[in-house]
Amino acid sequence: MLAIPSSIITNMIAHARELAPHECCGILSGTEHTIADAYRITNILAALSEQDLTRFDGAKLTDLQRLSPEERADIAFQMDAREMAMAQRDIRSKGLDLLGFYHSHTFSPARPSQTDITIAMEFESYRAKLHLPEPFHLIVSLEHSDQPSIRAYRIRESQPTEVPIHTLP
Amino acid sequence: MIKVRIPTPLRPMTEGKSEVEIAGNTVSEIIDNLGSAHPGIKERVYDEKGEVRRFINIYVNEEDIRFLTGKDTPLKDGDEVSIIPAIAGGA
Ligand SMILES: [Zn+2]
Repeated sequence: MLAIPSSIITNMIAHARELAPHECCGILSGTEHTIADAYRITNILAALSEQDLTRFDGAKLTDLQRLSPEERADIAFQMDAREMAMAQRDIRSKGLDLLGFYHSHTFSPARPSQTDITIAMEFESYRAKLHLPEPFHLIVSLEHSDQPSIRAYRIRESQPTEVPIHTLP
Repeated sequence: MIKVRIPTPLRPMTEGKSEVEIAGNTVSEIIDNLGSAHPGIKERVYDEKGEVRRFINIYVNEEDIRFLTGKDTPLKDGDEVSIIPAIAGGA
């Protein structure tokens, strides 16, 4: 179970809609199983060089290379590292934890893709060294634009498990 | 010597190693020496202007160097430098 204030759910969906067809991304703070705040982070994917794109897995890389830089942000995101560091610093100063990450899928369901899983596992390999708690991974889907959906997951050993969301008033 | 953690996408340049030991007194010296020992890696960490690329964070122990003294951050024996790409993903 993950508890999220309804204002934050509204904010994440609004963020996804504002950036569509590009994917949006952000960070969530909180404690244990309750989200306290959301930080919008810039998706810098369109600004990445061809060489930078090699941080993605093979299949995604091939897809990205077929698209123009602008179109690439429709199927992937890369958080701005500086903004992410600033958000983490703010979270720490408030005595909260970095509790999760969110991003949008403009045209597909709210399920982690192979790329999401691979990069979640990459993060997992650094996480303990940085003394961060296990994150929730949230996805906002705009596949059915009149009915956006949002789902949360834990990703362990490359297996996503959905965590029910409890909306707080 | 300083232990440097290499992110997955850069491991092809370190013969697959996730950690390497590099000599240096500052973060900047570590990245230079890392680049000499493993050609190609420095260009992947810095952009054309010599700044850390926008999707990479460098940590000394648990602190981002942006909140220390950047690339001039001094290092002592036992410190660990981690090169970590920020979160990404896709549909
Ligand atoms: Zn995704």
